Amino acid sequence: MDRRKFLKNSTLASSLFFVPSFVKAFESVAAERLGYKRLVIIQLAGGNDGLNTIIPHNNDIYYNARPRLAITKDIIKLNDDLGFHPSLAPLRSLFDNGEMSIINNVGYPNPVRSHFRSMDIWQTASGSDEYLQSGWLGRYLDANGENPYNAIEMDEQLSLAMKGEHFNGIATSDYKVLYNTSKDPYFKNVLNRYNDAHLSEHNLGYLYQTMIEAKSSANYIYENTKVKLSQEEYPQNKFAKQLKNVGQFINSGLETKVFYTSLGGFDTHANQPNRQKRLLSQYANSVSAFVKDLKRNDTFEDTLILTFSEFGRRVKQNAATGTDHGAANNVFIMGKNLKKAGFYNNLTSLNDLDDNGDLKYEIDFRTIYATILSEWLKADDITILNNSFDKLNFI
Amino acid sequence: MNHKELQHLYWRVGFGLNPAEYKSINRSRKNVVNTLFKDSESISTLNVNVSYFNDITYKKIKDNPKLAKEVREQNTKKIKELNYAWIYQLVTSKTLLRERITLFWANHFVCKDNNIVYIQNYNNTLRKHALGDFRTFVKAISKETAMLRYLNGKQNRKNKPNENFARELMELFTLGEGHYSETDIKESAKAFSGYSHNFTGNFVMRERQHHSGQKTFFGKTGDFSGDDIIDIILENKQCARFISEKIYRYFVNPIPNKKHVEAMTNVFFKDYNIESLMRYVLLSDWFYDEKNIGAKIKSPVEYLVGMAKTVPIKFERKKDILKIQKLLGQTLLDPPNVAGWKGDKGWIDANTIMVRLKLPSLMLNNAIISLKEHGDFSDSFREKYFKRNKRKLPFKVLPDWDTFSKNFKSVKTEDLDTYVIQGTINKGTADYLETLNKKSKQDYCIQLMSLPEYQMC
Repeated sequence: MDRRKFLKNSTLASSLFFVPSFVKAFESVAAERLGYKRLVIIQLAGGNDGLNTIIPHNNDIYYNARPRLAITKDIIKLNDDLGFHPSLAPLRSLFDNGEMSIINNVGYPNPVRSHFRSMDIWQTASGSDEYLQSGWLGRYLDANGENPYNAIEMDEQLSLAMKGEHFNGIATSDYKVLYNTSKDPYFKNVLNRYNDAHLSEHNLGYLYQTMIEAKSSANYIYENTKVKLSQEEYPQNKFAKQLKNVGQFINSGLETKVFYTSLGGFDTHANQPNRQKRLLSQYANSVSAFVKDLKRNDTFEDTLILTFSEFGRRVKQNAATGTDHGAANNVFIMGKNLKKAGFYNNLTSLNDLDDNGDLKYEIDFRTIYATILSEWLKADDITILNNSFDKLNFI
Repeated sequence: MNHKELQHLYWRVGFGLNPAEYKSINRSRKNVVNTLFKDSESISTLNVNVSYFNDITYKKIKDNPKLAKEVREQNTKKIKELNYAWIYQLVTSKTLLRERITLFWANHFVCKDNNIVYIQNYNNTLRKHALGDFRTFVKAISKETAMLRYLNGKQNRKNKPNENFARELMELFTLGEGHYSETDIKESAKAFSGYSHNFTGNFVMRERQHHSGQKTFFGKTGDFSGDDIIDIILENKQCARFISEKIYRYFVNPIPNKKHVEAMTNVFFKDYNIESLMRYVLLSDWFYDEKNIGAKIKSPVEYLVGMAKTVPIKFERKKDILKIQKLLGQTLLDPPNVAGWKGDKGWIDANTIMVRLKLPSLMLNNAIISLKEHGDFSDSFREKYFKRNKRKLPFKVLPDWDTFSKNFKSVKTEDLDTYVIQGTINKGTADYLETLNKKSKQDYCIQLMSLPEYQMC
């Protein structure tokens, strides 16, 4: 067999021809059950310093608490009180166009200052005193998802947020590698001998079923992604690559409701200024390119982008030109037809901090989730969050 | 004991058994089990060198941000070393059962710490009590520095109670959800107030922060200490039941059998001796029931260590060991939260299944899973294709096939499946395996390891 023939055969092998009938049945239902509204999550891991991101440029307390850290130059003033960090310049037009909503003072009662635990709380939508083993997006897909590719994380591992009780999204930092792995002819030979009749609910049956789904999802993503659609120039970094792939998936019309991306490194205990400047610039440039890409393909209207971090940072700077773990923080929502664009609410008083010297939360992050679930994804937020939270009115 | 039973036993108390080890084992069940306990009498602790931290004091760190940073980096580095040391110990240890049940307890008394000294101590405490008295075990855990930090025990003070530990003690460590009230949590938290530790990691009771006075807990009133609370919890048979069921799901079958769990509960409730409980389980006829063999989905660590026991592997780059654990979804010393890894089906999603199926060929054979069928001469093209891509392989691993050959010398290639796979092979797959030519034991081993069936134990 020569190389070309080999590749050709492999492509053939990847067609849906080999996928058992019950998987195909799922795929045809999927289009109806799932609308076309999509949610993109951007996680700023490490605890982004919200106060130096959306800057209270008219506030003496801010400047007094941070003599070495406060941003003084080139603040992009958005109103009399608040302004962007200079690195967020690429997002200015989004803000001005009413395509960005900034929600201040987001957090939860009894805030936890451990990265892992607080990220856990955000991802599972739990209270600070409960431990859940499934994520909020996973639980959304328990009820509304059919195939792993309905939720894609742009990483090698799946976050807890994307794991439901039964449903698991798919994680892939490079969908071509996943596809190449799944099309190994040995696996094909094994699966050729199966259809749904053979598979039980028991553990081994579950393994086969997952294997078939993985192969089918890898095929689906690979074959339906049209690389050419995204002509937009993205910056050269890992985070931009994640968003570029998401852009390709969305513009190709993949039946994916949720995309999960992450930018890490925000744990700025020391030498914060340069690090945060660089990270925020990566964030803003990548998001700006992403939004342009979606707009060019008319898909921005059906996309909502949520940016969060597991906690904010202490109001007072520390001794190492950095900041320590804090509590409440700001959350960004981006989308086309926002009900309340600009600042959703004012920054809470810097005079009235908690015992640790951190911002007090005013908006529970789960009210944001509830709003997105019910208003954007048209899902039953009460079941998914296992609680009834008031809705906000940003969408 | 027959081959199947022996192999089942060794997959549950260890990570499988090589055919070469069969001969040296006495074959009556009682003898085999006795040997297992005897071998596990000693405790081999993990001892990552932490001498760097000897001169470090709280004050030095506080006064010197540069040193603080260095200490953080040292901790990160040393915790990685502890991870490698633990994996290595799982592969090589002679105290099989003790190591295996330590792994179980690590996902029961779940804890995590970024301080190497505290977490190494904690890990060795698990090992020390793993087969001992559960009562002493729980009390020791309640006083471990890493646990006092992880569940905010040291923030639990007379006038500022923190209920985190008290809650998890009952919900996750002893009784299970729904067997206590919020008042029980509040009252017991008072009993644990004042628990703290010093910088070197020893338990300290801060009397001035301790709430002395009457507490009412599970209907009893008195000036209870933390240890008293644990004693009162253990008076409830539910505690013996909760632990027995968890042991059953881990060591026997993820679907509990009520009758067997109740029998275990009765044994355990007598004196909360873990060794007696395990002895009872491993000697029971039902432990060897057909439906329990190959019924468990291997955890990533079971999968990885089991593979390394069949074909010894050496990692050229140690960090690959961490990378593989991450890809598979279980990094030792880095649990997702205090509830631990969900286990069983929770290990498997579309990504992890593909990684698991592909990993044996990636690590042991340059990513090639042979396709040779009867009368098929070669698939040399694929081999060339993959060899060209060898540089791109994500891991650098040296498999020791000589040792494999020695260990499996007595096994015919066509019988290899009964040694490599636990439980029955699905019909369709068994039919496919029939068509393979089985000229090479090595190839067949990789083919077997690249099946969903290999994920079971």
